[in-house]
Amino acid sequence: MKRHTLKVLAGLVLSAGLASPALASDPAVAKLKPKDFPNQPIEYTVVYPAGGGMDVTARLLGRYVEKVSGDKVLVNNRTGGGGMVGHTWLATQAKNDGHTVGIVANLLWGDALLRAQGKWSLADLEPIGYINSDALIWLVQGDGALKGRSLKEILQIAKDKPNTIRIATVPGTMWEYLVEQLENNTGAKLLRVPFQGGGAGINALAGGNVDLAQGFLAEFRGLAEAGKVAPVAVAANSRLPHLKNLPTFNEQLGAKEYTWQVVRYAVVPKGTAADRKAYLSAAISTAMKDPELLAEYSKAGVFFDDALMKSTNIARDINAYAESERAFYVKTGRVK
Amino acid sequence: MDALSGLAMGFSVMLTPANLYFCFLGSLIGTMVGVLPGLGPLAALALLLPVTFTLSPIAGLAMLAAIFYGAMYGGSTTSILVNIPGEAASVITCLDGHQMARQGRAGAALGMAALGSFIAGTLSLIVLTFFAPALAAIAIRFGPPENFGLMALGLVCTLFMITGSKLKGLLMIALGFLLSSVGMDMVNGNERFTFGVTDLTAGIELLAVVIGLFGISEILLNVESVAKNSLVADRIKKLIPTWADWKASFAPILRGSGLGFLLGIVPGGGPITASFMSYAMERRIAREPERFGKGAIEGVAGPESANNAAVAGSMIPLLSLGIPSNPITALLLGALIIQGIQPGPLFITQRPDLFWGVIAAMYIGNVMLLVLNLPLIGLWVQMLRIPYRFLFPLIVLLAMVGTYSANKNVFDLWMMLGFGLLGWLLRKLEYDIAPFVLAFVLAPLLEQSLRQSMTMSVDGAMILFQRPVSAGLVAASALLLVLMVIRQFKRKRGDS
Repeated sequence: MKRHTLKVLAGLVLSAGLASPALASDPAVAKLKPKDFPNQPIEYTVVYPAGGGMDVTARLLGRYVEKVSGDKVLVNNRTGGGGMVGHTWLATQAKNDGHTVGIVANLLWGDALLRAQGKWSLADLEPIGYINSDALIWLVQGDGALKGRSLKEILQIAKDKPNTIRIATVPGTMWEYLVEQLENNTGAKLLRVPFQGGGAGINALAGGNVDLAQGFLAEFRGLAEAGKVAPVAVAANSRLPHLKNLPTFNEQLGAKEYTWQVVRYAVVPKGTAADRKAYLSAAISTAMKDPELLAEYSKAGVFFDDALMKSTNIARDINAYAESERAFYVKTGRVK
Repeated sequence: MDALSGLAMGFSVMLTPANLYFCFLGSLIGTMVGVLPGLGPLAALALLLPVTFTLSPIAGLAMLAAIFYGAMYGGSTTSILVNIPGEAASVITCLDGHQMARQGRAGAALGMAALGSFIAGTLSLIVLTFFAPALAAIAIRFGPPENFGLMALGLVCTLFMITGSKLKGLLMIALGFLLSSVGMDMVNGNERFTFGVTDLTAGIELLAVVIGLFGISEILLNVESVAKNSLVADRIKKLIPTWADWKASFAPILRGSGLGFLLGIVPGGGPITASFMSYAMERRIAREPERFGKGAIEGVAGPESANNAAVAGSMIPLLSLGIPSNPITALLLGALIIQGIQPGPLFITQRPDLFWGVIAAMYIGNVMLLVLNLPLIGLWVQMLRIPYRFLFPLIVLLAMVGTYSANKNVFDLWMMLGFGLLGWLLRKLEYDIAPFVLAFVLAPLLEQSLRQSMTMSVDGAMILFQRPVSAGLVAASALLLVLMVIRQFKRKRGDS
């Protein structure tokens, strides 16, 4: 009986929401809205250029957050230094009045742990909401010598004939760390050809200039559909919903450490008032429940990390991920 | 589907009032950001990207593409009128375009820039219509060694741009190399010459360099010497190019179109490199190269055609493979992905409406831009009547807004002012700044492609000669260099 009443109530609230789109604000979010906030548009800062994966993520999120909160959201690209300039700005200069939200990826961790030179640290930016993830996938040419070979076979060739398989990497990033990890653990030796980004490496693969490339689904889906490139394995904890037939590195190699993915999430500068933080966080997590937004993200080829989607303490759970990346840096002597 | 019926389909998709309106809007915005110094197509596209979310994919893409090539039309305007490039691909147009304006031929220069852009844009589109998939298949084979060959050729071209003292010119090229190496090393990720300054990790922003060296320094020079306009409007004679101008420009437009188109398709090229290399090429083959820098119309027609053709060229890898070859096409790709569309080799068969629609939109946009730009010439020329004391502060303001809009970083503004002072000093001392800028653009690409080639190679530098295209390009660069040295040597002997 009670449950039934609740259902009816929920239905009423829902239909009320639909009937008055002008208010356009979700009751759960509206309840948390502080009296004096926001008094200007909320700025989502993206540290990568417009049009890229991060930018698209932030703009889509902004659109749905506007829908559930009724607030105005602007996306601002602060680019430079491969994200370093924007990360530094967020951690050291952005105002912590709640009007600045950073839409970041875990590439932030590398900058904080390896390149911040003590000027700032991960503690300066507090995670408030998980958005989505992309996992690094190894690719071979659609008609090359490695086509149809398993990851194990490829690594065996790289061990027997060191430095004969050319792989596209991006220096100083997870593209390189994955290769390094595999080489250290399996004794394989790959010829690393440096590129400025994952996309450039995939182009080189399609053009036959390298034998292996690494990238995200959105970057190669068109080429894969046409049979120009073929995926080999994915560096995620479990198989991706879009690519059910693609094995993970971990299952192929019987390990647990080959997880290299982009985790996109929102942060606010340290010291942002608790009520504002809770409100911003609720707006994001409510927007992230909209099936329309999830469908838009899925179309772009990303996936949702279950553990983070269901997380009750996002800051703790994201920082745990960061900790495992730090462990890799310590193990490889990058961080003392 | 063959190309003609595809194109017919594209036009039927595009010829709706709404689609035409957005194509026109893009052309208009593109012209404006081209004209305004500092504000470039990339910043404008980034700003307008969210607008396209709510449009149909074809309307959005037609508008964004029109901004891209529209900026190439507008970019020459301030280069010619006030010697300040509207955007980076029009830097080289300053050299002869502004000299033409000083001789009262601003109208002819602007007219030829617009007509050259139109002819180049349309010719490239015709090639794109019939050969896009085939060209894309070739372009994707273009690997690091081929890129190295291309960049080496470009570097030899910088030598042709030296006008005065050879030693000073070489010094400027060296300086371009040096400053371009600031920032993160692309092979090992280490920082070079950043002195711990975070803002330098990405290197020095090209826009700040170009606007500073050309724009700010020009204003400093003028502030110093003139109280009133140096090119008062009564010196403006003909608004349209003469028959002689046409005859002189015809071949450069065709050469610029071909060169620009090819440089647009390959990964390392693009409108900026295309315009510089076209200028160098025209100077190299001219009967009287000494006319260049003194108002030679070939020096306007060639580069202005080349940068437009490069835009059409760069659409080929995007539409046929889903591969962006420069930041602007990367942004166009982002716009498509937001719409849930994934271009790739199958794009042409899966979404022929979009593929051909965009091509049709570009034909239409080019016509719109020509119609839009020709009448504007009269208006732009009137701009010269504005007293410098009003015009210059306005330009400085726009340049600052434009430079800031690229990265939203105040540091870039200081960089721009610093390069303004440097440019002022260098021009006082009669150093050429054009070779500096080209070297600054080419050096990182040259370094990257060389280091990639060497990593890929099993027997060292031989990889550059084992692949036919790279071998050809390297040989051509070497040949040009040898010819140049011989000519120089002969001239020396003739003098003594």
